[in-house]
Amino acid sequence: MGLAPVISTAGLTKHYGTVHALTDLTVEVGDGVTGLVGANGAGKSTLIKVLLGLLEPTGGHASVLGHDIEHEGQEIRRLVGYMPEHDCLPPDVSASDFVVHMARMSGLGASAARERAADVLRHVGLDEERYRPMGGYSTGMKQRAKLAQALAHDPRLVFLDEPTNGLDPAARTDMLNLVRRIGTEFGIAALVTSHLLGELEQVSDHVIVLDGGHLLRSSATGDFLQRTGGLLVEVVGTETERDRLGEALAQRGLTCRPRGTMVAIDPPPPELAEGGAVHDLIRDVAADLGLGLMRLQPDRRHLEDVFLEGGTRV
Amino acid sequence: MSDLSPDAGRPGVIHDLGYRHFDGAREGTPAIARTLFVTGLRHAYGLGRSGKSKVMPFVLLAMSLLPATIVVGVVVLTGLGELPVSYADYTNQTQLLVSLFAAAQAPVLFSRDLRHRSIVLYLARPLPAPLFAVVRWASLTLAIFLFTAIPTVVLFAGAMLAGLDKSDQTTAVLKAVVLQALLALMLAGVSGLISSVSLRRGFAVVGSVMALIVLTGIVTVLQNIAYYEGDSETVPVALGLFSPWSLVNGLANAWDAGVDTPVPVDGAWVPAYAIVAVLLVAACLLGLVARFRKVGSR
Repeated sequence: MGLAPVISTAGLTKHYGTVHALTDLTVEVGDGVTGLVGANGAGKSTLIKVLLGLLEPTGGHASVLGHDIEHEGQEIRRLVGYMPEHDCLPPDVSASDFVVHMARMSGLGASAARERAADVLRHVGLDEERYRPMGGYSTGMKQRAKLAQALAHDPRLVFLDEPTNGLDPAARTDMLNLVRRIGTEFGIAALVTSHLLGELEQVSDHVIVLDGGHLLRSSATGDFLQRTGGLLVEVVGTETERDRLGEALAQRGLTCRPRGTMVAIDPPPPELAEGGAVHDLIRDVAADLGLGLMRLQPDRRHLEDVFLEGGTRV
Repeated sequence: MSDLSPDAGRPGVIHDLGYRHFDGAREGTPAIARTLFVTGLRHAYGLGRSGKSKVMPFVLLAMSLLPATIVVGVVVLTGLGELPVSYADYTNQTQLLVSLFAAAQAPVLFSRDLRHRSIVLYLARPLPAPLFAVVRWASLTLAIFLFTAIPTVVLFAGAMLAGLDKSDQTTAVLKAVVLQALLALMLAGVSGLISSVSLRRGFAVVGSVMALIVLTGIVTVLQNIAYYEGDSETVPVALGLFSPWSLVNGLANAWDAGVDTPVPVDGAWVPAYAIVAVLLVAACLLGLVARFRKVGSR
């Protein structure tokens, strides 16, 4: 596999009548976890369906795992797993039976399917409840069963459409850890969609941002979260202490503004940025004012910032 | 998750092997289609499903077998020279049960995946949507065929036990089996198409009952009215083209398989009946393929 992209698209376009779901999308996806971010209706699910060969693109080309989507859809569907966004589980079947059946529908033999289903259900964390009909499952358990069927045939790539949809915070964290493990420990490339940018910061190696069917940005997650050069400072006390520190720092030539309980400092002028002089300055100012320094950290950008910037640009 | 301490080397500890890849052989599309076909056939009889879902198909099967066993008992004990009912006519006499079976079980194969949207999971797998529809239809066809063929086999066994003429009986049985196959193709097509469109199980059952039982009843009544009131034989025969049951019965009548129709079907009507039956099957199949293809591209 090596350097060959897992997914590559060139000018991919999908229009439903007058609705432009995807417009001229050219993007490459590599190994590991790739986040696909966009608001509802940004074209995330459409992209996945086009890549699965279930929807015919209006224009452009794409290949998945080296197979062309227009002519080798069947070959692609043999190698990928798909976890849809919406509910798709029959209520009167147990997760165990269902995952075995779905593994067989992907071409595994009877005994291999049983073995794989047991393995995968263990990995997603469905224990005894796997033998109960899925109609009685909680949302968290349903999401796990949906994920299990996507992994049942040991795919080389999984499309996970909103895997954290409807989960409470604890279940959300569990699911994100699972997605992270799929990309690293399991060695399966994953394309994960979400409309929550913060989630993808934690788990993905690469992020693609879609907006209204257009590609807004595609780059490594690290690039999104690059340091801005600014600093965040927090001192013990209330807003009064915060403002005292901010005013004192401003007098020393730093541009400061309050952010929550902290003082955000814009990138300092070059003479202060050298050799951590600005850190010393902050320490001394806090000490002079008699304030307890609680936190001093580099200010990082968030995916949200990128999204907002892009939104205003388009 | 687990409160067992992960002490290595302790007896009885389950070791986490981590994620294991599958590098065994993967089956091709024909094998996957065969698996789906067998699963569908089992599901039509409630096998591999909940205990409750076995009740309906097996109660109907038992009801359609009961008269056959009585007939066999009577023939064997009294030594009648022939069966009181022909093989083909037996299926006709139990048509209510056959239609009910088709109406009740078609939603199992055609509505469930669409209603619960698990169809998406199938379509994200190698089997293409049109093949999926054809395989489902084949499962239901065989299920309905078995439903009609099992009583026929019982009757035939009884006839053999009673020492009836072997060659006569074999010819009649083979004719009945061919007609039953044609019937199963049509009933599976009609009830399958209705179930794939109306996703609520209740609506699907009612729709199939309307198409298979009520329509057949209306056709039969109209045929009789036309026969007794009118003076031409064309109208009753032509009316027979409008329901799967009257088509099969007309063909059985023309083929001398022991089924009475209000007016004998003969001459140019025989190929007309056959062509309409084949067209009905083809139309239903095309409808099913179109339906699943549409669902697949959503």
